[in-house]
Amino acid sequence: MTVAGDVRLEGELVVLRPRVEDDLPLFARWHGDPDVRHWLHMSEMPDQSLEVERQRWSVVRNDPTRVSFVIETLDGVPIGNIGLIGIDVAHRRAELGIAIGEKDHWGRGYGTDAMRVILRFAFDTLNLRRLELITDIDNERGIRAYEKCGFVREGVLRAKRLRYGEPLDMLIMAVLSED
Amino acid sequence: MISESILTAKNVRLRPAEESDLAQFQCWLADDELRRWLGSVNEQPSVAEEFDWYMSKRQDPDIILWSIEAADGGTLLGNVELRLSPLNRRAEVAIGIFDRQYWGKGYGTESMRLVLDYAFRELKLNRVELKAAEDNVRAIRSYEKCGFVREGLLREHRQIEGRPVDSVAMAVIRSDWEAR
Repeated sequence: MTVAGDVRLEGELVVLRPRVEDDLPLFARWHGDPDVRHWLHMSEMPDQSLEVERQRWSVVRNDPTRVSFVIETLDGVPIGNIGLIGIDVAHRRAELGIAIGEKDHWGRGYGTDAMRVILRFAFDTLNLRRLELITDIDNERGIRAYEKCGFVREGVLRAKRLRYGEPLDMLIMAVLSED
Repeated sequence: MISESILTAKNVRLRPAEESDLAQFQCWLADDELRRWLGSVNEQPSVAEEFDWYMSKRQDPDIILWSIEAADGGTLLGNVELRLSPLNRRAEVAIGIFDRQYWGKGYGTESMRLVLDYAFRELKLNRVELKAAEDNVRAIRSYEKCGFVREGLLREHRQIEGRPVDSVAMAVIRSDWEAR
């Protein structure tokens, strides 16, 4: 997580600030909410205790191929997280991950704004060329927001993950710096 | 981890990768064209880097690595690995026939079939996936022979020699394998 450092990125509705250790209880609460968890790639994990979050954080914080931000409203309320995974400088690409953990903030444009901010960061600051993501095939609200930000459907990955023990198809989407 | 299972077909044998294979791997990786197709190795690794690569595979519980050798005589040909995602019962596969004298002769195809059978039969996975450079025609043909289905075209997914190249996303899912 070397790149994020003390970076603060400002959008029209949100501010992105680096994720810190003190955010762990917040993440545990978000990831423990069944409605949030439903859409998470790691929804099959048995337990979202603080201890599990701490373990995951110890991996994430030391991984140089990741940056991880907390999304805050302009008045400083944390509502979710966004980050880049698998930053590959040689191939100039990364994967985007986002979740709005506060359900009452869903569908109000916060995620779209956060994505626009991180797209600028990825393309202008990190000089990447391709940003990709995978999402559940039935995540209509998410897909609509991704398309608003310029993501294009590239394929359907069959049985890509399990949800409640059942295989689920996922959509792969990407946006290029030239798009 | 290093696989303890030995898988055998007519022309190839997959066996645990050993430290004594590394010098040969490292030497082969001087080949620009080989590295170009592998996609993951930008420069020839040093002996020390190759050793680190091996140790990292050995220590990772979600990786299974085999060396590929000719069934007849045991000549080392390359390697193949599964990168497991146990939570979602899938794996990514990466294969390389490093010795170019053995390219285009079916050794990779036969090795891949062994790995797929192992993944679906022994590991009970739902999905095995890979990404290939779109212009790696020989590899893609081999993957299709093994039952891989094209699922998408990933635009400018890699940068090769300074130019953007698309990748093909391919996978075999359990129902494909069962219908083979």
